[in-house]
Amino acid sequence: MTILEVNNLKKVYTTRFGGSPVQALANVSFSVEEGEYAAIMGESGSGKTTLLNILASLDKPTSGEVLLKGKGLTTIKEKEISAFRRENLGFVFQDFNLLDTFSLQDNIFLPLVLSGKSYEEMSRRLEPIARKLGIGDILAKYPYEVSGGQKQRCAVARALITKPQLILADEPTGSLDSQSAEGLLRLFKEINSEGQTLLMVTHSVKAASHAKRVLFIKDGEVFHQLYKAGMSDEAMYQKISDTLTTMATGGGHHE
Amino acid sequence: MSRFFYPKLAATNLKKNAQTYLPYILTCIGTVMMYYIMVFLSKNEGLGKMTGGSEVQTILNLGCYVIAIFAAIFLFYTHSFLIKRRKKEFGLFNILGMEKKHIARVLAIETLYVAGISLGAGLLGGILLSKLIFMVLLKILNFEVPLGFEVSGPALAAVLVLFAGIFLLTLLNTLRQIHLAKPVELLMGGQTGEKEPKTKWLLVAMGTLSLGGGYYISLTTESPLAALTQFFFAVLLVMVGTYCLFTAGSIAVLKLLRRNKGYYYQTRHFTAVAGMMYRMKQNAVGLANICIMATAVLVMVSTTVSLYIGMEDVLRTRYPQHIMISTPVPAQQSVEGLQTSVKEVLAKHGLEGKDRLDYRYAALVGNQEGDRVITDMSNISDDSSSVREFYLIPLEDYNRLAKRTASLGDDEILIYSSSSKYEEDTLTVLNRTFTVKERLDSFFENSPNRVSISGSYYVVVKDMDVVKAMEEARAKENGDDPSGYRYYLGFDLEAGEADISAVYQDIRTAVGSDYPGSSIESPVAAKESFFAIYGGLFFLGIFLGALFIMATVLIIYYKQVSEGYDDKARFEIMQKVGMSREEVRGSIRSQVLIVFFLPLVAAGIHIAFAFPIITKLLAVLNLTNVGLFAWCTAGTILVFALFYAIVYGLTAKVYYRIVSWGTSG
Ligand SMILES: Nc1ncnc2c1ncn2[C@@H]1O[C@H](COP(=O)(O)OP(=O)(O)O)[C@@H](O)[C@H]1O
Ligand SMILES: [Mg+2]
Repeated sequence: MTILEVNNLKKVYTTRFGGSPVQALANVSFSVEEGEYAAIMGESGSGKTTLLNILASLDKPTSGEVLLKGKGLTTIKEKEISAFRRENLGFVFQDFNLLDTFSLQDNIFLPLVLSGKSYEEMSRRLEPIARKLGIGDILAKYPYEVSGGQKQRCAVARALITKPQLILADEPTGSLDSQSAEGLLRLFKEINSEGQTLLMVTHSVKAASHAKRVLFIKDGEVFHQLYKAGMSDEAMYQKISDTLTTMATGGGHHE
Repeated sequence: MSRFFYPKLAATNLKKNAQTYLPYILTCIGTVMMYYIMVFLSKNEGLGKMTGGSEVQTILNLGCYVIAIFAAIFLFYTHSFLIKRRKKEFGLFNILGMEKKHIARVLAIETLYVAGISLGAGLLGGILLSKLIFMVLLKILNFEVPLGFEVSGPALAAVLVLFAGIFLLTLLNTLRQIHLAKPVELLMGGQTGEKEPKTKWLLVAMGTLSLGGGYYISLTTESPLAALTQFFFAVLLVMVGTYCLFTAGSIAVLKLLRRNKGYYYQTRHFTAVAGMMYRMKQNAVGLANICIMATAVLVMVSTTVSLYIGMEDVLRTRYPQHIMISTPVPAQQSVEGLQTSVKEVLAKHGLEGKDRLDYRYAALVGNQEGDRVITDMSNISDDSSSVREFYLIPLEDYNRLAKRTASLGDDEILIYSSSSKYEEDTLTVLNRTFTVKERLDSFFENSPNRVSISGSYYVVVKDMDVVKAMEEARAKENGDDPSGYRYYLGFDLEAGEADISAVYQDIRTAVGSDYPGSSIESPVAAKESFFAIYGGLFFLGIFLGALFIMATVLIIYYKQVSEGYDDKARFEIMQKVGMSREEVRGSIRSQVLIVFFLPLVAAGIHIAFAFPIITKLLAVLNLTNVGLFAWCTAGTILVFALFYAIVYGLTAKVYYRIVSWGTSG
């Protein structure tokens, strides 16, 4: 079943003071199936964050449509959009986006509190997640008291706790050391193997090589895609590297 | 590197940080101006030569000290705020290869610029405004305004010395901070020290106790004399309480709320409690400062304004009659000479005494302990609240004045109290015990010392023999000469101030030499010095009030700016995790409102509790019109609150621009 469908997405940023408009996305189309683990790759400035923000309904496209389980994001009323986002989407960001005014546990609870869940229900939901992510004993701490890897795991817990249809991750390993990054990628794989749909945006070949499918964007368009199928992480890594080289040297589209 | 590199860099830095430096420089200019004007006035020779001028200058001198101390603390404090925000910038310079001594050089040049601008503009403004303020002061004092314009050398010197010192100190402090910090720490800048605050129960308890103690003193102090000594203590307690409760108390309350899971994990309370915790941690001291300054402004302005407005009342209270003569009458002398002299003076002016009041009396001072009065001076205790004045008046005079026909036995008395009621059935004084026959609810009009800082009793005794006997006993105990008894004569005149003044002068000359030790008073004669003192206080109250308000404005502004930068990031995160724009906006707006109006509300509560003790203090200054004071207080609070709200509204604009609510749609 298709969870996410993106059709002919276009985004042009017009700066306020009469600067020339920037086209971040030209014509992006792709879809994500339930249970998939997809990565979107592209150089810095290629429009990845822009794409993710539109998928997250944090920003609006200039044209084109985004369908989540067949429901158009642009048709949702402004008032309902944050509730919709809270209930259907989970986010993991490069810079964690944890609030330093809350303990880690309260950060994880935040989306549920906003949905009006009781403390008992929240605790019940958190318990298995905390065990899986190995954050049970740091929950009472504050973001500034723990390492980047721990922060990111808490951010993942915050994304998981709402049982979202889709988790969106923007450069989740971007601020982590290689060991923490490795741990996080293993975690993503594990979550995905339990049925969670994941869409990750990254410019790290290493990160992308863990995904089941990799989409490449260049000049605001999906340029190419790779399926991992039965390949090992290493073989996938090699293949992604080759593709990037081809893209950089200006090769044409190929499947 | 070019010779001009550092001066140029310093100028660029100031321009780049204009958003925070401009208000700082404006405040420096304002403070320089006010200090110059205050010193100018307090040293002005023309003012010193006017009647009552020297009293005014004593008051203004006090103002100079207040401004100097305040300027030092306040400018130091705000400057440290500026530097905190700029640490990142210094770290960047450092990492880009500028040594600390180079940074120091830039900072020194920056300080020089700021000092130059502040002193230049401040002195210019001060000199120009000094004449205007001088005229306003003279108008307030009812003095005549002289012509001419002058620049005061001593005032210029005082300003230069004070502010050079302040700027040097702030620079040294900044250099010390930069010198001690590692580049990484500098880069982290404001982001360090975000630790979760601990609940300091000891501070909470201390704060509650001292605030309660301060309030208790204000509510329970009865005698004005005690109020005089207790007021300072109460103020200190309330200040300590305010600091403790703003810092520790607020955190403790929020933590209790957070511990209550059912309450805390509700959509509406969740972000509010955490947000308030964060804000209080950041701002508690600044808010306590605002609260105390607001309270100071309110007390200062409301009291000085009511004293000034109530001047006629004050004069009438202090001097109930136009001419008031009170004199000791030695054993061998009679009062007839005095009466004749007064009659002759009045005849000469063609006037007649109205509401004439005269009686004989003796005065005693002692500590009241139940039904006993300890008059022995060497035994008088330090506890000023039990000091009482006793006026012994013969029955004959009382009956005449009160138009009564009461009778008394040898050891019987009638007693009237000006403040707390006399509850005992007997009164033992100087080894003689009297029985209270009647407690009087009212005494005759215009009795002397109606308002006294200690409580006073009017004791009506059988006859002059008792009065004289008591006076002799008193003199014997104290080892001084008995003065026989005293005589009071007072009356009103239906005449203009000039005529009353002339009568007053003539009586002084006529009576003064025959009756050494006599006191002759008139509200007309006292008016000038009252205007000088109360006018001076009024001027100082308004002037310092303006200074404090300026400081409050600056603190509010800086709070808004720093809050803005912190909130911007949080605002974005909250939206990303699923709060709607409106929800975030609403929650942050209400938090900001609470934070800024908390000090004002606290100040209002302080004022309400201070009201009783301040009315007693005003009684010492002869203002007994509680209604007038209540109105002045209410008016001052209203004006201040209005002003505060306007300032809040203006600075909130800056805040909204920073978090960019106004722009992104
Ligand atoms: N808010 C914005 N306003 C104007 N231009 C933007 C904005 N956000 C991104 N851009 C531009 O759009 C392009 C894509 O940016 P982004 O989506 O952040 O790329 P990536 O995440 O792949 O590095 C860049 O050229 C960037 O400068
Ligand atoms: Mg990006």
